[in-house]
Order: sequence, then structure tokens, then C-alpha cells
Amino acid sequence: MEVFIAQVINGLALGSIYVLLVTGFNLLLLVAMIIHFAYPQVVVFSMYIIWLVLGLTGNNLLLGALAGIASSILLNLISAPLFQKVMEKRAEVDINTTMVLSMGIGMIITDVLSHGFNKGHPIAFPETLAGGEAILRVGLISVLPGQVFSLVVGVVAVSSFFLLLYKTRPGRAFRAIAEDPNGARLVGIPLLRTGLESYALSGLLGGIIALLLSVLLGSASPGLGEQVAHKVLAVSIIAGLGNLVGGLVVGLFLGILEAIVQGYISGTWSNVIAFVVMLVIILAKPNGLFGLKL
Amino acid sequence: MPLPLYYFLTITAVNLLMSWALYLPYRMGHLHFIVVANMAISGYTAAFMVLSLQLPFWLALLAGFLLGALVGYIVALFIGDAPTFAVVIVGFTFIYITRTVIENTSAVGGTMGLFGLPNVGGSPAAHRWTILAILYGLVFLVGFLIHRFDRSQLGRAASAVFIDKDLTASLGIDIKKMGILLQTFSCTLAGGCGVLYGFIYKSFHLDYFTFHVIGILMTVIFVGGYTTLWGTVLAAPVLYGVPLLFPPEIASWRIVIYGALLILVLVLKPEGFITTRFVHTIGSYWSRKRRQPTLPNRRKENL
Repeated sequence: MEVFIAQVINGLALGSIYVLLVTGFNLLLLVAMIIHFAYPQVVVFSMYIIWLVLGLTGNNLLLGALAGIASSILLNLISAPLFQKVMEKRAEVDINTTMVLSMGIGMIITDVLSHGFNKGHPIAFPETLAGGEAILRVGLISVLPGQVFSLVVGVVAVSSFFLLLYKTRPGRAFRAIAEDPNGARLVGIPLLRTGLESYALSGLLGGIIALLLSVLLGSASPGLGEQVAHKVLAVSIIAGLGNLVGGLVVGLFLGILEAIVQGYISGTWSNVIAFVVMLVIILAKPNGLFGLKL
Repeated sequence: MPLPLYYFLTITAVNLLMSWALYLPYRMGHLHFIVVANMAISGYTAAFMVLSLQLPFWLALLAGFLLGALVGYIVALFIGDAPTFAVVIVGFTFIYITRTVIENTSAVGGTMGLFGLPNVGGSPAAHRWTILAILYGLVFLVGFLIHRFDRSQLGRAASAVFIDKDLTASLGIDIKKMGILLQTFSCTLAGGCGVLYGFIYKSFHLDYFTFHVIGILMTVIFVGGYTTLWGTVLAAPVLYGVPLLFPPEIASWRIVIYGALLILVLVLKPEGFITTRFVHTIGSYWSRKRRQPTLPNRRKENL
């Protein structure tokens, strides 16, 4: 039973990161009307920037976090004109073109990380980042302060984001564009500016996710972005593309499922089970469990 | 034949065939990445048949094609008419599952890979010529079939699905059946390519079946042009061959170059370099040129 509880706590921490990732991904989908498949690669790039700054500043976490957030926002804003150019003459989401463009961006980021950082080897964050003594220890499984930190920050970030989206004026503008871009334009919402704000906001979320992943995983490799990208896309499809509430539920579910499976099955087979569950759901319900919001 | 030329010709042919395997389902808007997983599944199965069961290459090749077709057909039954993003994610999931299963299966070499596949035609030279003959025989056969498909009613229906799926369905076209047909054909082709790819290098390693290969194939399709099969015919040898001429320090960045090229083309020339219109222009130019010598004679006769 203790193993189960420990893994549920781990799963919630991992799930809250998935929720943040899916939320940032869905925000870009709904407001900027793009499928930013390389969004997780942007997050992994920010993890590398955090690692670099931590190394340069003698493990100053604040500077590392700020650098990670800044790099994520910057990368998102740099890619914005490319997506805008591709979407110029299209009134609705062009899934194929934006996804392929995003994959091109992902290819560049992954290869730059493979060549430009740590000679292509995986990077390891300082152990102090995850905290010292375990809060809870059951056999080989333990809950570290870093995991609790990730869970708390993840929950606060998700709650803040949903509050922003549903209780503030800019949030209403985001939702209005997501519902009806032409109607939003008619009532005076600036589409371009709001679109750019969505890139910046998802960049901000990306930076926070990069920090949480650094704490939770303790390491990163160039290929991590592809694996996370795959899970994010899978979660958003299972939830229903663009469905924010669905993303919240499915993201948490996937995190907990993965953690529980890892608690009882060793090795890489645990990933296969998560993938098979995802595959079965997608094959059975290609439009998602909670319905599309496009 | 010099080895560099042999590898250039064979890998170009594999890239071309695999690009066509992606091109066909994309005619109706599906990015069917499961073909990469199919390459691995069929390739490893064929290698196991040859190395462990001592079965002949030709039987293993046939099994590779059939296994590709079977996997493709079963999956297509579910996603024949699914939205693009669902098809994409099914492809990625299959790649991850396939990789993990192979990594953990010692019978097919696990993370070490499979080595020591035998020569197909006896001697190394005969092996190379046999592999080349099979690959280019396939290139001509599949190229001819796709050319016929593009000009057929079915090809026009696929183009209609690409533009407007709902309208095409309302015209009475069975989108699911077409999806199943195209996806099964592309998976069959990928299965065969997987077997041949392994026999080019006489070994298999999982490093090939990654996101990188998808990136390369997508660059071939989108830079060459996804509206006609001729785009891939031009792009496959150029994109694989040109980086080979670069100095090693630049060539090692070829994925960055591919990514940048892909983005540039999507932004500046979204349909790629070779479009249907371009092919029609070239076609009418050639037919005009062929007719030209007869014109002066006719004029003389008229005079």
C-alpha cells in the first residue's frame, strides 16, 4: 500500500507537468491556431539553458530559472512569425502544415542540443536541486522534496493559468478567439497581439515546466523532447484536441498511470504499457474522450 | 562497383521508396509514420528468419512484405479515416512500442542489434548487384504504379479528400476504404524496404528507426513537393547526396540543414519545388518540342 501511495504522489507530480505541457500546447492551438509539436523540444532546450546557467553561476537556482523562462519565451516568439507566415492565408487551423513546420523546428533544436551541449551526452542537474533526504521511503521507492516541490508548483501554476483563462479580461480574449476568431475581431479584440501574447504565455509556462522537469528528472538528453512531445500530443488527442479541462484530467491520469506501472514493473516495459493504453484509446476514439474544441 | 557509389545508390533508393510510402497516404492528408515502425518490424523478423531459422533470403523478403501488409491493414481498419493528428500519434506510438520491444528481446539482438546477415547472391559483388537490382526494380514498379494511381479516378478522389474530406464523403466516396488501401500499400512497401535496408548493411540497429528518419523522409517529401511523385524523385538523391560532398564538420550538422530547408520551403514555397503545375508545364513543353519538326514541313506543303 505504501508503494502505491508513494507512486501516486510521484504520479501527481509528473501528471501536473503533463497538464502544464498540454495546457501550453492547447493554448497555442486554440489562440494561435497552430499545432506546436516542437513545444516540448523548446522546454528541453530551456532545461539545457538552466543547466548551463547553473554551471556558470555556481548553482544559482533563481538565475537558472529566469534564464530558462527567458529562453523559452524567446524561442516561442522567434517561431511566431514563421507560423504566422504559413497561416497567413488560412482561416482555420492547418494541422498538417503547422505540424510539419513545428517538426522542422524540433529537428533543429534536437540536433543543436546533440552537437552544441555537453558533446551530445545527457546532462545531469546538481543533486541538491531535487532536495536532500527523502520525505517518504518505502524499500527502493522514495518521495524527495524536489518531487513535492514539483507537485506544489505544478498545481499552483495550473490553477493560476486556469484562473487567468476563466476569470480575467486577457483570459476572456484568449477564449473568445478560440471560440470564434471573426467574432472576436468584430468586438475589438486584437488578433495579432493576443496571438503573440499566447506565444509568450506558453513560453512562460514552458520555462516553468523546464524548471520542474529539471527538479523531477534530475537529467535531460536531446531525445527527451521527442519522447515528451509524443506524450503531450497523445494526451491532447486522448482528451480531445484543444480541450483544456480534458487535458487536465488525462494529463494527471497519464502521470499517475506511468508512476504506478513503474512502481510494479521494472525496466523500459513500464513505458510500453503506458503507450499501449494510449494507443488503444486513440484507436478506439480518434476524436478524444472529451471531444474536440476546434 | 565502388562501395561509396553502391551505398549512395541503395540508400537513395530506400529513401525514395520510403518517401513514396509516406507520400501515398499523404495524398489524402495522412502523415502515416507507422511505416518507420513497419520497416523495423519486417526487417528484424526477416533477419531472425534468415539468421536463426536458416530460411532463404527470398522467403524472408516475401515475409517482410506480407508482415508489413498485415500490420498496415489491421491498423488501417481503425485509422483509415481518422483525423491527421490521430494517424500521426498512432505512428509515433507504434515506433516507441516497436523500439522498446526490440530493445528488450534478446532473440533479435536487443540494444546491440543484429549482425552477420549473409550475402544474397553468394559473393559480395553478386550480393551488391542483387540488392541493387531488387531495389531499382521496386523503384520502377512502384513509381509506375503511383504514376498510374495519380492519373486514375482513385488518385483524383484522394486529392479531393486532401482538400475537403466532408465534401468528398458527401459525393459518395468511401474515405475509409481508400484510407485502408493507401495505408496498407504504404506499409507493405515499408516492410519490404525494412528487409532490404538490413541486407544493404548486413546488419540491423535500432539507431536508424528514430525520429531522425522521419525528419529526413518529410524533408524529401515537402522540399521536393508533395503534390506529385516527381518531387521525391528529385529530392531523395539530392538531399542524401549533397551532404556527402560537404566536409565532415559541416556534414555532421545535416539534420539542422534539413530542418532549416524544410522550414524555408514551407514558408516560401509551401507546395515544394516540383508541383503538379510544374510537371504539366514540362510535359506540354516536351510534347510541343516533339511536334515542332513537323510544323515547317506542313507549312511548306501548304505553300
